Amino acid sequence: MIIQTMALLVDAYRELCAKRLFWITMILNSLVVVVFAMVSINENGMKFLIWQMPADFAGVTITSETMPPGLLYRTMFAALAVPWWLRWVAVILGLISTAGMIPDLIQGGTIESVLSRPIGRIRLLLTKFVGGLLFMTLQVFVFSLLVFLVIGIRGKSWAPEVFLAVPIVVTMFSYLFAVCVLIGLLTRSTIAALLLTAVVWAAIILVNAGDLFSVSIHENIKAELRLEQAKVDRRERNATLAILGERNAEREAEGLEPLEALDPAPTSSELEARDIRLPVTKLRVRELEASESIASRWRRVIYFVKAVLPKTGETIALLGRWTIDEEEFARLGAPPPSDDRQRVAQEGSEATAEEFDNRPLWWVLGTSFAFVSVVLGIAALIFRRRDF
Amino acid sequence: MTDAVVSIKDIHKKYGGFGRKVHALRGVSMDVPRGSIFGLLGPNGAGKSTLVKILITAVKRSSGTGTVLGKPIGRKDTLAKVGYLPEHHNLPKHLTGRQVIEFFGAMAKMPRASRRSRADELLDLVRMREWHNKKVGGYSKGMRQRIGIAQALVADPDLVILDEPTDGVDPSGRRDIRLVLQQMRDEGRTVFINSHLLGELEQVCDAVAIMHKGRVVSLGTIEQLTEGMLRYEIEIEGELDAAGATFGRALPEALGKGQSAGPSPTAELAPPTDAGLAKRVGLRGELATGESVEVHGNRLWIGTTEAATIQPVLDAIRAKGGVIREVHKHRPSLEDLFMQAVEDDDSPGAARASSRGQGGRP
Repeated sequence: MIIQTMALLVDAYRELCAKRLFWITMILNSLVVVVFAMVSINENGMKFLIWQMPADFAGVTITSETMPPGLLYRTMFAALAVPWWLRWVAVILGLISTAGMIPDLIQGGTIESVLSRPIGRIRLLLTKFVGGLLFMTLQVFVFSLLVFLVIGIRGKSWAPEVFLAVPIVVTMFSYLFAVCVLIGLLTRSTIAALLLTAVVWAAIILVNAGDLFSVSIHENIKAELRLEQAKVDRRERNATLAILGERNAEREAEGLEPLEALDPAPTSSELEARDIRLPVTKLRVRELEASESIASRWRRVIYFVKAVLPKTGETIALLGRWTIDEEEFARLGAPPPSDDRQRVAQEGSEATAEEFDNRPLWWVLGTSFAFVSVVLGIAALIFRRRDF
Repeated sequence: MTDAVVSIKDIHKKYGGFGRKVHALRGVSMDVPRGSIFGLLGPNGAGKSTLVKILITAVKRSSGTGTVLGKPIGRKDTLAKVGYLPEHHNLPKHLTGRQVIEFFGAMAKMPRASRRSRADELLDLVRMREWHNKKVGGYSKGMRQRIGIAQALVADPDLVILDEPTDGVDPSGRRDIRLVLQQMRDEGRTVFINSHLLGELEQVCDAVAIMHKGRVVSLGTIEQLTEGMLRYEIEIEGELDAAGATFGRALPEALGKGQSAGPSPTAELAPPTDAGLAKRVGLRGELATGESVEVHGNRLWIGTTEAATIQPVLDAIRAKGGVIREVHKHRPSLEDLFMQAVEDDDSPGAARASSRGQGGRP
């Protein structure tokens, strides 16, 4: 069993090495790391080769004093190289390179030769699947190794955690490759497998975007609601104090002791009569409550839809969770918001980020692996029953 | 059946569904004797490939039973001792010839050292030693076929199933492959060949099965199948009309039981033909001793292998002025057998006739 599995994996490796695209991707990855290494940081900001660049991000000036080079490179790796380069370009090249693996396997003249050997069909399919993941594993490993060296040499900080990119990116790739395997098996066509996987990926991206949008909208509404509710509370408190002040002035004129508090408390209409902007603010709160209820419902619906889909974005974001120390960023000291609008936007943004960061690992990976298991299970069932 | 490497009984295979069902195999039964070279013949669409794929588990049978190497069909462990070369095989183009052989050796669970030494032996056997480190993608079709045969043999199989092994191979290569097949048989292996090249099969096969429309229509050793089809052929000189006239005069004397209800020999003699047994037109009858007689142009077929039996016929022909050009004993070719079996199966009442092949054992 081990002999067969090893033979299939070695064959997958040889097949990859025989593909031009494998080497093109490897060269592109290396070029990205070279560009990565050309960025540096000094006391004036960031530099690309010899060119000094503006380094103000969200009101924070980045210099070697505010951000050590090691943190800069790790941030660039986790926030740029992995989410943009590896997540998109490398994954697309990986899918193009491996989409033909199953259609090639099941074409006439090939599959019979393999099935005529003492190997179970399900093991054959799963080993081929793992062989496909080998492409991404090798690519990301080489990329991470080069980045590790750049961070160590240029950033004077050895960061072995960059190798977490290997399992994380490969895991994310496996979600799409499982779909590609199933479609390749159903259609026997490389092009169809590639295009339909792209369609599924687009659907996942759409749901992810919907999720981000719904959480962001909901959290912004909640932040604004809190703000408006605080305004209502403040206005009511001020109006109550104003009424109390009037009553106490009247009591003082009558020679009575001033009241500590109004009993009974003033009615809404008394408060609204006292502060003519209070009804408008209350109306805004009611509108926001209605919006919050709708946004909350949509957020739950999208969350449940997303629960059955693989979490491509969150999986990649795990790298940021595990490689970037939030405290190091906190020391950069972002400026406080200057008005209510900025405050709402900042609170909403922070709450949204917190929501995604706090989604449990079992949900991010567990439901994604469940998706992969179901998709591969269907593929295995078809592969096991099909006549070739 | 005592020592059959492949033994199948009443195998059916239906493909498709929802009104598009294809009944590819309709109750195929056969035994393949150990240590023989067994040929599977049949026109396109006869079900040969389906049968072979059932044996190697690439296709699942709809019903029926059978064993391969003594174990039920479908057992994966049996396949360690089965070598297979598919028709139109696609060997991995990114591997060298040696790597292909070693890869399939590994798939048969052979340890690395055994794979290497076996690959050396096989590269010599198929005469590919010189090219063993070149990528298969650069091979000619014949070279790929040689490597294909080598990979089929890598696990030292007891049963070798070859689908069109000489396809695309030049005459010299075909001869090499024939020698390899004979060597396999000499080593005690059983070789199961599916091929269209009847001449090739005839040279090496011990037994054949002829399939048509999903059924075995003829099965047995070539001797068994040609039994009753051996004959003497007598050719006389002269134009067709003259030859017909000679036969017409001579035969009534030679035939003990008189002519059949066929047409007059002088009126409707068939033109000379090489098409074989299927073109039986003209005079038919039987000798007094029961052997059949047929006129085919200027040839007379007598269904016997006994020289003594034809002497009265020769005498009668000479007595009527016929000049005998040639007398020879004719043995039908595999192609003759094939054509006859297929055409018989297509003829009315074929269902009855075909049943002779169904339970047959070579």
